[in-house]
Amino acid sequence: MSVGDGTVLAVEGLKVDIELRHSTVHAVDDVSFTIAARETVGLVGESGCGKTTIGLAVLGLLPVGGDIVGGSIRLGGDDLTAFDEDAMLRVRGNRIGIVFQDPLTSLNPTMTIGDQVGEPLRIHRGASARAARGSAAELLALVGLPAPQRQLDRYPHELSGGMRQRVSLATALACEPALLIADEPTTALDVTTQDQILELFARLKDELGMAVLLITHDMGVVAGQADRVLVMYAGKLVEAGGTDSIFYEVRHRYTEALLESIPRMTTSRSEPLYSIPGQPPDLSRPPGGCRFAARCAYATDECRAAVPPFFGEPAHLFACIHPVEAAAA
Amino acid sequence: MSADLEFVEGRVTHDAVPEEGTVGQVRAWRLAVDVFLENKLALAGAVMIVLIVLFCFVGPLVYHTDQIHTNIEEATLPPSWDHPLGTDDVGYDQLGRLMVGGQTSLEVALGAAAVAIVLGVIWGAVAGYVGGFVDSFMMRIVDAILAIPALFLLLFLAAVTTPSVPLLIGVVGLIAWLVPARLVRGETLSLRTREYVQAVKVMGGGPTRIVTRHIVPNTIGTVMVNATFQVADAILLVAALSFLGLGIPPPAANWGGMLSNGLNYTYSGYWWLIYPPGIAIVLTVVCFNFIGDALRDAFEVRLRRR
Amino acid sequence: MTAYLIRRIAQALVVLLLVTVIIFVMLHELPGGTARAVLGERATNDAIAQFNAQHGLDNPLPLQYWNWLSETLQGNLGFSYKQNETVSQLLSERLPKTALLAGLSVMLALVIAIPLGFLQALRRNKPIDYVLTGAAFIFYSTPAFWLALVLITLFAIHWHVFPAQAPQGSVSNILSQPSGLVLPVATITLVSVAFYSRYVRSSTLENLMQDYVRTARAKGASTSRIAVRHVLRNALVPVVTLVGLSLPFVFAGTLISEQIFNYPGMGLLFYNAAVARDYPVLLGVTLVVGTATVVGSLLADLCYALLDPRVRYVKS
Repeated sequence: MSVGDGTVLAVEGLKVDIELRHSTVHAVDDVSFTIAARETVGLVGESGCGKTTIGLAVLGLLPVGGDIVGGSIRLGGDDLTAFDEDAMLRVRGNRIGIVFQDPLTSLNPTMTIGDQVGEPLRIHRGASARAARGSAAELLALVGLPAPQRQLDRYPHELSGGMRQRVSLATALACEPALLIADEPTTALDVTTQDQILELFARLKDELGMAVLLITHDMGVVAGQADRVLVMYAGKLVEAGGTDSIFYEVRHRYTEALLESIPRMTTSRSEPLYSIPGQPPDLSRPPGGCRFAARCAYATDECRAAVPPFFGEPAHLFACIHPVEAAAA
Repeated sequence: MSADLEFVEGRVTHDAVPEEGTVGQVRAWRLAVDVFLENKLALAGAVMIVLIVLFCFVGPLVYHTDQIHTNIEEATLPPSWDHPLGTDDVGYDQLGRLMVGGQTSLEVALGAAAVAIVLGVIWGAVAGYVGGFVDSFMMRIVDAILAIPALFLLLFLAAVTTPSVPLLIGVVGLIAWLVPARLVRGETLSLRTREYVQAVKVMGGGPTRIVTRHIVPNTIGTVMVNATFQVADAILLVAALSFLGLGIPPPAANWGGMLSNGLNYTYSGYWWLIYPPGIAIVLTVVCFNFIGDALRDAFEVRLRRR
Repeated sequence: MTAYLIRRIAQALVVLLLVTVIIFVMLHELPGGTARAVLGERATNDAIAQFNAQHGLDNPLPLQYWNWLSETLQGNLGFSYKQNETVSQLLSERLPKTALLAGLSVMLALVIAIPLGFLQALRRNKPIDYVLTGAAFIFYSTPAFWLALVLITLFAIHWHVFPAQAPQGSVSNILSQPSGLVLPVATITLVSVAFYSRYVRSSTLENLMQDYVRTARAKGASTSRIAVRHVLRNALVPVVTLVGLSLPFVFAGTLISEQIFNYPGMGLLFYNAAVARDYPVLLGVTLVVGTATVVGSLLADLCYALLDPRVRYVKS
């Protein structure tokens, strides 16, 4: 299901607008990236930066008022933006799987685990109830649920948060999708469970040869799991590169600030926690130049004049006119 | 603005719980008002109610008729310049009677709703806050009274006494308090565990303070919605009572009595005895229902918690 | 699940007991007491005293209650002097007929209201929603007796389709003349449909907003699959409780409908008794209706537990 060079997802110049009651929010503005098989790409940014919107746009599940107004989304050889609803129905849950943030509300409270996990198979593979049930048990075993046969007849509220998230994962993987989108998959879980779930993701990604888009605001999650990182701010991509490159050779001032605000074990207790001053801009009336300029200590008039282009090499791009100094070669 | 941004991220998340401090509350109220004002039906309903109230209470000051003394010679006259809505079977001018009757109907309905709300809120808040066996018992009492249809209770009462306006207000109110009690109790149960309530407790606030200052104000939304429906129901209930012949006796007027009286003449073609009171009832009740519905939508927006 | 069952049944019993207390209080509050009601306004004080002594009406209240309760539980609901029959006899004649009327009305109302409310939710704020909502509001806001008379005027007088009077006699006799049932049932159904469909609509809407619907869409489920297999099932769960809670409302409807169409059920019995000040009958009917409501509520709650697995494990 992938193009010859192993690229599973290719997003090019994506623009998404959301029509609200009194205004139009430009939630995603000209974002481009690719994900290859067996690669985890972390999409990070604060709340409201547009990262979840991208995930929903790929699936064609934008909320009422949301529309893709530019760019393309290619899955394998197909441009999903050109697909009608019927075509998208065959893609969702089949070629693309998604795991959402809150496992309790994401699962139907009155349907058994077995029915819910097997449902994609019944929809896309025409599986009989019994066959779906059998496959569901296998999937539950795959995601590490103990006693999978017994879980089939239980209900979501009977399971713990971690178990529910595994169930959501099993459901997403049922039809062996080429792409897995994980939207804040661990945010609602406690720290130890977070670790376990992320390990699971990594293992299954390799086993099943999927491409993974990991959407999160947690830099720690990204550091441990992602091969490449895309940093978003106010609807635009500001920095993109390999994980090591981003963390150890950060260039964009926003990414620098983000990394700075992660509390560290080594920070002395008397030092206040660093947080980025100011607020993200109003996306219904975005500023003309660099969107981070208003909160950036290094911004100049040049920054505010026009949106900065991408600098650097393809392996590590950053849209910043006054970036962090590159380490001496 | 931040409430809108939650829409942008594609779903109503847990983060969309409105802040419980004053700033969050103000913003949430504004959103609720917005939603209410957008509902054209509710707006029309509200305007209509104002007009109806003016008609009933200010109307007689402008348009004088005698609603006490019967005048058989002028009975069942069709609409004319002298009597724009005709006269009824004992000679009362229908238009004037519609106004005066409206006063009674509205008074009873609004009065009963007020009684019901006050009683219901107190009962429900106490039950919900105290919890345990007391709560269980208080709610069982509510269930028991609810089990008996209001109409039955009222009929029984009417068979035993002669209804007057204050008595009707009291009795209808005493039956209507049950639903608000249930609603408030439910809300209190969930609000009781909120963090800001715990905070007040820690600060040394006593139960009365917590209930009156923190819990009850947060139930206002649900209570307001229910209050409008209570008014609507009360009008219909009293009308039914009048129809069954056990309402307030003449010369007092009320829409239900006028309608049921008029229905005696269905086959005589005296439409002016039937449609004006009937339409008055339906119109008023519909308006209150529209308003209640819109209020409920507006408060659902505000209380988007889970 | 069993714990829940036991708890609910225990609660229902308590409520039932309280209902009997209320009835008893009503009985006791009759002006002048039962003696005067039975013997008439002109009875002498001696006759009253004798009657009271005879019927144990001068005993302390709790004892009276106990006696009354034991009598009631044995099926002795008193005697109607006005109709010269035991109350239980009258009730056993009338109850099945009211049950028939109420049952038919509720079932018909649900059969119409559920698809209607569902459709309204799916087509929220489109013209069809406004039209149906408007119609529902109007029916719900119209006094039932006026509605009944409109129905009679249209269907019985103008177009001689259905009779204006309900069939009399036994249940089987009534059932043998189904056309006579149409208008009485229609009166109650029309108002109930309005009530139920609004509720179905809002319950469906609430479910449509839930995250699990988004998950279902993300699985590639078609709209019809989501609507029927996910949303409808969840949306109907609270409707079950609603039906249980609406029983008093339905009984009130039968009262009016029976009175207008002269249908020989409990509602008409109650009305006639109210006019005639026949207190034993009034109380007997109230007791039966109250009990029916409590039992109905209990059944509704049990169905709720069957349908919604979360309920079975929640501690109160």
